[in-house]
Amino acid sequence: MEKISNCIVKETRGKSYKSHKYCFANDEIPNIKYENEQKITVKKIGETASIESTKELRGKAKQIQKISKPLFKYFLDGSRKTYKVDDIAYDRRVYPIIAGQIGVGCCERNENKELRKNWIEHQKVIVLPNCADKDGSGKLFFNNLVMKINEHPLLKKLDIKFERILSYADRELHEGEKYENLGIAKIQDEMIENEKKIVDRLTSKNILNEDSYLIKDGSLEYQKMKTGNFRDLSIIKNNYRRVVGVSKSFNPEKCIDKRGKSNAKIIAELKLYHRTPAFMYESTRVLNVKFAIWYLRIRDTKYTISPFDGILKVEKILITDKEQEDGLDTEEVDLISANLINERNPVCYGKDSRWANHLYPVYLTEAFIKSGYLSNGFFINLF
Amino acid sequence: MNKIIGKVTATERKPTTIDEFYFWTSKDMILTPFDVIKVSHINNSITFGVIEEISHITDTQSYLNSFISNDFGDVETQTNTKRIGMNYVKAKVIGNTKNIYIPVRNGEQVCFASAEEIQEALGLDKKNIKNPLVCGYIEMYDGNDKGVKVSLPVYFNSHFLLGPEGAHLNISGISGLASKTSYAMFLLKSIQQYFTNEIEKEIKEDVAFVLLNLKGRDLLAIDEPNENLSEKDKAIYEMLGLDCSPFSNVKYFYPYSDRNISNTYAQKKDVQTQLNIEKAYKYKYIFEYDKENLDLLFSNIEDPNQTMESIINYIISEQGNFGNIRNWNDFVKEVGEHCKAGFSGDKEITVSSWRKFKRIIRKALSNPIFAQRVSEQDKEIRLQNAVKNIRKNEVFVIDIAKLDEGMQGFVFGDVIRSVYDLQLGQFEEIPEEQIPSKIIVFIDELNKYSSKDIPKYSPILRQIIDISERGRSLGIVLFSAEQFKSAIHDRVKGNCSTHAYGRTNAIEISKNDYRYIPQVYKNMMTRLKQGEYIIQNPVFRSLLNIKFPKPLYKQFK
Repeated sequence: MEKISNCIVKETRGKSYKSHKYCFANDEIPNIKYENEQKITVKKIGETASIESTKELRGKAKQIQKISKPLFKYFLDGSRKTYKVDDIAYDRRVYPIIAGQIGVGCCERNENKELRKNWIEHQKVIVLPNCADKDGSGKLFFNNLVMKINEHPLLKKLDIKFERILSYADRELHEGEKYENLGIAKIQDEMIENEKKIVDRLTSKNILNEDSYLIKDGSLEYQKMKTGNFRDLSIIKNNYRRVVGVSKSFNPEKCIDKRGKSNAKIIAELKLYHRTPAFMYESTRVLNVKFAIWYLRIRDTKYTISPFDGILKVEKILITDKEQEDGLDTEEVDLISANLINERNPVCYGKDSRWANHLYPVYLTEAFIKSGYLSNGFFINLF
Repeated sequence: MNKIIGKVTATERKPTTIDEFYFWTSKDMILTPFDVIKVSHINNSITFGVIEEISHITDTQSYLNSFISNDFGDVETQTNTKRIGMNYVKAKVIGNTKNIYIPVRNGEQVCFASAEEIQEALGLDKKNIKNPLVCGYIEMYDGNDKGVKVSLPVYFNSHFLLGPEGAHLNISGISGLASKTSYAMFLLKSIQQYFTNEIEKEIKEDVAFVLLNLKGRDLLAIDEPNENLSEKDKAIYEMLGLDCSPFSNVKYFYPYSDRNISNTYAQKKDVQTQLNIEKAYKYKYIFEYDKENLDLLFSNIEDPNQTMESIINYIISEQGNFGNIRNWNDFVKEVGEHCKAGFSGDKEITVSSWRKFKRIIRKALSNPIFAQRVSEQDKEIRLQNAVKNIRKNEVFVIDIAKLDEGMQGFVFGDVIRSVYDLQLGQFEEIPEEQIPSKIIVFIDELNKYSSKDIPKYSPILRQIIDISERGRSLGIVLFSAEQFKSAIHDRVKGNCSTHAYGRTNAIEISKNDYRYIPQVYKNMMTRLKQGEYIIQNPVFRSLLNIKFPKPLYKQFK
């Protein structure tokens, strides 16, 4: 039976090379540009109280565990798998065809301390170079193409549907840049867009409130915050009022103080259940959005491989004018931190090498999303 | 629509097969091994499965993971989130409504079955069972919501228990905890009612019962009601279609006692009451008629050179002076003569052999049941005479509880020999139409007479093997019980069509006899409650965990 790549070749008048198909390994993914690696320059303190060094929160964590329910009720994660499925020639240039499976999901924790699905969405996408659209019709062309692909007998038979065809720029590449990375970046953007959609959904249902926060896996500082369907800054701000971004990995060398010196030593030497003061940070990517960022150690260094294992980078968007001016209320920083400490167990030791930085509900959400993917072999062989 | 409890999962390591499948279910779902579940299958058919194993798993990769998840060994640690966990269940396929046996498909919903579906699945539908004989009841989905729990009577096809298709029942289990006698009596009661039932009278078969009472007063009042029977048990009998009356047509046979030796645990007044209403008799052995059973006294005696057998033949063939002897005392004296040094009798039998023979018989023959003659006025009887005159639907209870082990064997051997001869038509004076078409013999502690350690030439063992192999066609059915089934002679247990396993100890279930039983069922055997059995019968598609109510007859505490 004819494969999807043949259909693409036919419809876009290209030439297929029947190249080797493979799944991009996670460490090959050029996500450096998108998350965790931005240079964080501390403009000023990002919380209301002035904290000299670090703050111990073990007592508070214990106390709130006894007297109140956990602050975090919702857990959001997104992931994608990307594949090189063929090379295609238009004119005299050869471009990769990238395909991907995107999954975003949100789990909620019930009274019985068990996670349940709140929302999950899986999408399959194909990324082609801009020039695949020979007439320059743009979106319309790719929308038509995806409809044609979805009519393909193979997909009909297997009851599989591609959500959309994305396009990457057909431009001169900088040194070290690859078309593959441009394609993967498109899929990453699509995933982020879907994550934002879920936050918007939760907010519009009014289920995020002062007693029910959401942990979003990774940084909140989306590069393309001002693009997509959720570009309105005021909406984003409102949506993220009860959202905390928790990153497992970060480059400590990128955290520098006002004098341009590295903060890495302070972070590395954080004691167990201590947090750094919150710093205020204004993204260079998203203007007029300020973040409070702080670091929190949830595992003892004696059990971890590197001094940065067991440390979470915590982010929260500053919403109100007062917050933007004075920083996040220290009470809230402490409350978020103490609740994060209480999320430290159970661990996914043995299942995930990042166990020291993982929060179990987030890990489960991630596993839940990944459980819905088609297997690599199956997906690749559609093409 | 039945309650959906999970979904079938076929993995690379554990695929669904023609014989079994796995499904996941909530960790709070109460299921039990032996519960029947159903799964939709192709062509609108339904596949039924019986639960064999239930496992609980979480995503904990190792014990170390668990240790770390408690802050490296802090027992006080509490977590905000419970580990993800679920139960997965192994089920054995027992049937498909359209006889489609390709493996069930991944992702199919698994449901509880209705009472009718369970009957269909297990082949228990009374309408489809020929000659239905109730043998207990099953309970399923216990502990779930009201209305889900199912209680159903279970029926044997009597032809597979009492012949001609299959015969004999073997009950095994720990003494006291397994209620072996109670279960045998429950079945016997069910059989008696089955054959006396008005509707069933058209059946041209009948049955009689010979029960040997081996323990205390256990079976010495089986025609008297159990005053302590609870309403719950009465309701169960009603559900099973049995009335709550005790056994009828019962006759008791007590070993004759004299003033010095009492041979029964029954109280004198009770025995006298039974004697007065001609419900009981005292049995005796008379030399003239019973000398041919002398071999039975030697059942458990090793006789590698067959010298004892030679002596018995010598006596039965009335060699020497034995032809002139009419009573046991003279017999013992004559044997004594043969023991004297220099006695010139049969030169092939040495004096030392005669002395061994004497040692063995002397103690036995001192018992008052070996007597000169019987007096009918005193309700005395020879046991063989009683047995050969057993009538249809009669229940004979022969008390041997207080006799010593050798004497118990002697009486039991005599009874089965008499039953055997009766069914073979050896008693010419008994008209054929008077002989019951089936006689069920119930004996506890079968291991005493047919264990693997019993000498190969034991006359009782040979008799039991003969009955277990030929009894099906002769109309002799053996209901036997013992603690350790593994100790029973292979030819005896191998010929039993029905096996009932009560509570069994762990050492016993590790034996080869239990090899084919799934491990979970074996483990269940070690936990079975009183009144619970695991049954194996050729008619059932799988082993069944059945229950039965408390006995209907008087219980002595």
